[in-house]
Amino acid sequence: MNRQTSLDFRTNAASAIKDAALRKAMRNATDTFGTKRTVAMESVDFSALREKASAIRMEVLDNLPAYIAHFTTQATQAGANVHRAADAAAANSIIADILRSNNVRMVAKGKSMISEETHLNAHLEKEGFEIVETDLGEYIIQLEGETPSHIIVPAIHKNRQQVGRLFADRLGVDYSEDPQVLTKIARRVLREKFLTADAGISGANFALADSGSLVIFTNEGNGRMVTSVPPLHIAILSIEKILPSLADLPTFMRLLPRSATGQMITSYVSILTGNRKAGDATGARELHIVLLDNGRSGILKGDCREILKCIRCGACMNVCPVYRTVGGHAYGWTYPGPMGIVLTTLLTGMAASHPLVDASTLCGACNDACPVKVPLQEMILRQRIRRVSEGFSPASVSMGMHLFGLAVKSPLLFSTGERLAGRFWSVLRSAGGENVAGRLPLPTKLPFSRRMP
Amino acid sequence: MSVTDATIALFLENAAKSAAVVHRAAGAAKLRSILSEIVAQDADVFCPCVTELEQAAAAGGVRLVPGYASARVTVEEVSAAIAETGSIVCTSSGGKAVQASLLPAHHVALVPRDRIFATLDDYFAGQAAAPPTNLTIITGPSRTADIELNLVIGVHGPERLDIIVV
Amino acid sequence: MHVQLFGTCLVNTFFPGVGEAVVRIFNRFGVEFSFPKEQTCCGQPAYNAGYIPEAKGAAEHFISAFGGSNDLIVTPSGSCAAMVKHHYPELFRDDPVKLQAAEQVAGRVYELSQFLVNVLKVHETDLTGSGRVTYHSSCHLTRTLGATQEPLALIQALRGVEFVPMPDATRCCGFGGLFMAKLPEISMAIADDKAESIIATGADTVTGCDCGCLMNIADALGKRGSSVKVKHIAELVAEGL
Repeated sequence: MNRQTSLDFRTNAASAIKDAALRKAMRNATDTFGTKRTVAMESVDFSALREKASAIRMEVLDNLPAYIAHFTTQATQAGANVHRAADAAAANSIIADILRSNNVRMVAKGKSMISEETHLNAHLEKEGFEIVETDLGEYIIQLEGETPSHIIVPAIHKNRQQVGRLFADRLGVDYSEDPQVLTKIARRVLREKFLTADAGISGANFALADSGSLVIFTNEGNGRMVTSVPPLHIAILSIEKILPSLADLPTFMRLLPRSATGQMITSYVSILTGNRKAGDATGARELHIVLLDNGRSGILKGDCREILKCIRCGACMNVCPVYRTVGGHAYGWTYPGPMGIVLTTLLTGMAASHPLVDASTLCGACNDACPVKVPLQEMILRQRIRRVSEGFSPASVSMGMHLFGLAVKSPLLFSTGERLAGRFWSVLRSAGGENVAGRLPLPTKLPFSRRMP
Repeated sequence: MSVTDATIALFLENAAKSAAVVHRAAGAAKLRSILSEIVAQDADVFCPCVTELEQAAAAGGVRLVPGYASARVTVEEVSAAIAETGSIVCTSSGGKAVQASLLPAHHVALVPRDRIFATLDDYFAGQAAAPPTNLTIITGPSRTADIELNLVIGVHGPERLDIIVV
Repeated sequence: MHVQLFGTCLVNTFFPGVGEAVVRIFNRFGVEFSFPKEQTCCGQPAYNAGYIPEAKGAAEHFISAFGGSNDLIVTPSGSCAAMVKHHYPELFRDDPVKLQAAEQVAGRVYELSQFLVNVLKVHETDLTGSGRVTYHSSCHLTRTLGATQEPLALIQALRGVEFVPMPDATRCCGFGGLFMAKLPEISMAIADDKAESIIATGADTVTGCDCGCLMNIADALGKRGSSVKVKHIAELVAEGL
């Protein structure tokens, strides 16, 4: 069970680096995704698409209350029950109430990062409901008692041997490390759950305001199952997932799968509008849509509002040199990698997560990869500025920066500093440790400036 | 809708890339012949038998069962196809059960050639303003790469998708 | 032609040889230069850590040291060039007077390889070298300045040098300025991956345009017991004159 918090990022990262299996898994995953994404983008004009996608997202963010209202009206007209949840506790409670009033015992659940954010499963289990994760990666980590380490492939940190052992231990099957065999085992076990579940809970990739529809991109078929087989379907999504209309969908259908897995398109794109109506033979009889805020209205008013454009593709973490090295658990919360740094510090606050702002070399690879042009590099920097102004930068760093600020304005002070560094190098070396000073060469006896005319 | 040969060719190419098995049939006889190759004689087949194509397909001696839930194969006409992505579209309009393309292990989709749209935009523009309860765009069989990014075809949805353009 | 030379604090303190290589190149091509003695540091360490007042102080000092001139400002560092060119104007966007001064200076800044190729056309002259050379494309140089071709043009202009491209040449080396001190475990792990890429090329030399990166890479190569040499592009070109 991992209970790492964002405050322990450095320690978490150091342990992750020593985990050879994890490092191998992360390198394999990010390298594979990187290559696949590059190849997939060759079949579209990425630059033009992302401009368009960014503009559509900004249009919604700039008018969010109106879009939420419009979506609500349209979805209600189509037969859905729309609920607004101000925070995680409200969302969890609303969902528990819906399940209780429908005498639900077992829930088949599709993948939803928002439900991870609210700790929905833990709440529902405490309330006595049986929750079965049905996305293969989520199923694996549920069996293991872990949290996802990547927003698209939650069990990416596990190798086939680990999954094989897990299935053998927990499901009583013969050990196999063949992904084909393991997947077929999951198909068999979960098929029974789909068919007998009293309710299905899912997330949604997008919500379309004009028609009140939910859009869900999946590959496995479990998303289709949980949203159409049980009589009751509850969808939970955050408010910024709204797009204006069906006409906007193709842009995101072209960008999201390519950015996430390098696929041209996922096996299934489900567009669900309301509940089962008279004359229908498909659809849940009762549909509830929970729209979660959980701090997003606040973010919308601030200088990092563009993070709300994020379409949860995972491209940024796939290209991040830090994420590639330490994996997702080190970040200590729901979202890892570059978008994780920004969203976590904004949603959980500096007090709970300030070390994350250092989890970046500011290399900018994330900016280049983002299909909706979220300026992640700039936002990480903004959060560093915020860390200083809110008083979470260590006193020693502030003191050092203050001295730096003085020295940088005075060539005399600066060169004195250089001379002192040279003179006391062995002291600095032992103070900074092998990890810092040991990696720097010896300062020169004659600075370059002194060699200049 | 008049559909060009180039559009049909692109559709078949992209559908094949998505691990669907693609076929062309000039008429009912060829359709039945293809079905006899891809569907085992003793396999339980669900077919809605509503459209002409579906009725033509069912007349080929397949073993029909009344419900999709216990069928091994669903043979059905789909609402549309999209060349840009090689996708077929199943909707709940007209009382159709979209689960028929989800639960059985083998899905055989009959695509009338004049229902193939060139692009996603064309498809959406051609639909009524209010979408049906369920509109599912299907591209290939179900799949996952959750274990070590190793691609496995056939997870919870169909393990095999055949597309027959008629 | 006359330029101003910004040495950078890393060159000043740790890599004076790089500065001397730049001077040799200038001398060879008849570039007269001044070295404004007031120069210290571009202010990146403060800026990247979120210490804006200190960063502004550094920027104002730089602007006054290099101001009052229309000469190009040449610096052997992609990250410092990017700091001045792109972040100085941002720092003063709310102050019209300081912004104007910042933009005047920012508009004159050239990273060394961009100056050598786009202005001096050094890559079209007779340069020599030997051995197999690979290239690390540092982050600010590549993504902020867009200098993807100039360093390659210089390497490929060295007759006798075999250029061996590195897989993932544009992937960060893990230096990240203060990052290497704040999260050294991660920094070293990322640098080790970069060292592995370099060693896999079979090159005997790795070059780049940023001393910070090269220093970090040298440390990682050393930890692997590698004998691959690490040279700044200035040193490679100066040796090839």
